[in-house]
Amino acid sequence: MTFEIVSFVVLAVATVATAIGVIAFKNAIHSALSLILTLLFLALFYLQLQAMFIAVVQILIYAGAIMVLFLFVVTMLASDQDELALRNQIPWQRMVGGLLGLILVAALSYLLFTGAQVTGTTASHAESLKQAITTYQGDTQAFGMALFHGFLFPFEVTSLLIVVAILGALVFGRRTN
Amino acid sequence: MPLTAYLIVSAVIFTIGVIGVLIRRNPLIIFMSIELMLNAVNLSFVALSHFLDSVDGQMFVFLVLTVAAAEVVVGLALIVSIFRTRHNIDVDEMNVLRG
Repeated sequence: MTFEIVSFVVLAVATVATAIGVIAFKNAIHSALSLILTLLFLALFYLQLQAMFIAVVQILIYAGAIMVLFLFVVTMLASDQDELALRNQIPWQRMVGGLLGLILVAALSYLLFTGAQVTGTTASHAESLKQAITTYQGDTQAFGMALFHGFLFPFEVTSLLIVVAILGALVFGRRTN
Repeated sequence: MPLTAYLIVSAVIFTIGVIGVLIRRNPLIIFMSIELMLNAVNLSFVALSHFLDSVDGQMFVFLVLTVAAAEVVVGLALIVSIFRTRHNIDVDEMNVLRG
């Protein structure tokens, strides 16, 4: 129990610190590296919440594939853009941004502490998660069973979304001349 | 740990993403802030999935992951395309609709 609390606090502090690093670093490459750390810490959160498949997918897809794409574009474009944040800044932009952020986190926390009434309904027609994990001998099997039984249609729509994204990237990446 | 602790961490990360979108002017960092917000929501999905003892939340995380990948592909292609025509990626100077 104590170990659980300590690991949660350490993870929470590390995640929030690296997330602040993402928006605080001047250099976009440092921000991207900080974001990779945030994603890795979130994967550890998922492990703590016993979502093994999501944790592995988070590391492979997010911290791997998506961030490689990010770093590729950052190194291609932003090497000479380091001074971007200093030039021509709207004077009260940071103050107003921070104030609005404080209001948002206060409102969210207020809602979480007072209004959060969580009741469980399942759409996947599956049994409860722990039951499914023991039935299918693992988290990934339970995930796959739910994905291909209750969530088959959203899964297929996802493929359409990916095709549209590929077409969009092709159209924007094409040289017009 | 109680569910509320995870949701608070999620809310804090989401807010950091919002602040990043508000105060930064480099579109790449704005994109990273959007990724932060998506991941904050993913954390709350996984936490709710764990505490409600249902696998549905993890399904939504899977779908959010796919949408995030598609969004990054199109967004970065847009940024590269803008950089190619204007040689500058300051969001405050993107005020012309024609290319």
